[in-house]
Amino acid sequence: MIRLMIESRLENVPLIGGAIRGIADMLSIDAINSHHLELCVVEAVTNVTKHAYHSEAGHLVEVDILVYPDRLTFRVCDSGESMDLSKVAPLDFDPFKVETLPERGMGVFILKSIMDEISYEVVNGQNVLIMSKYLKIKEHSA
Amino acid sequence: MQLQEKKMADVLIVRPLEKRIDAVTAMDFKQKMSDWIDSGNRRIVLNLSEVDFIDSSGLGAIISGLKKVGNEGNLVICVVKETVMSLFRLTRMNRVFDIFPSEEEALMAFSEKV
Repeated sequence: MIRLMIESRLENVPLIGGAIRGIADMLSIDAINSHHLELCVVEAVTNVTKHAYHSEAGHLVEVDILVYPDRLTFRVCDSGESMDLSKVAPLDFDPFKVETLPERGMGVFILKSIMDEISYEVVNGQNVLIMSKYLKIKEHSA
Repeated sequence: MQLQEKKMADVLIVRPLEKRIDAVTAMDFKQKMSDWIDSGNRRIVLNLSEVDFIDSSGLGAIISGLKKVGNEGNLVICVVKETVMSLFRLTRMNRVFDIFPSEEEALMAFSEKV
């Protein structure tokens, strides 16, 4: 397992993204999937920073990366305000009607579209978002 | 956020010089686009050749620009890397925006609509 921890500041989020990209590169994951993994983790960590912690600095965001032979699993943990994944509105718009286009709220849709498994639970006051992508992972040195 | 802008006739070409339009840079990008539109620019080409990464915040800022130009204008996109393009496809925004492989083709599309 690899554990990354950042303070809840938006400027720290690209650093997590870069780490995810680097890990994916070391695992020889192709460019598109690598990008999608970075995107999902960035979306999740941004959500924690903006919504769970209400854009307040000084809080901890933890990302665990678990590497399995057939998948990568990410756990994003925080101790801020919990969310309800099921209450997030679906991405619904008419491409021919500009006024229906969303300007926000697309993050969870992106996670659900890219990841094969996604769950959210609150354990002992900690919010934990768990998401997995099934990919064949080449053997690597521990 | 660093943005390059140039005018070709009445078309404003905007090229972000940073690799990411994300939660960190999206607000600044959105504000700059809004200022250009408020000053009368209605035909805009957004050249994403330098951009490696856009997240939902960045996409939302681009959509905001499209909504602001209104029915009398358009915001088209060009030179999108395949990784970035995958976000447009995933969100079906590739059906909303006109996306061109080159800046020249984006400009030609505007001139054809004169």
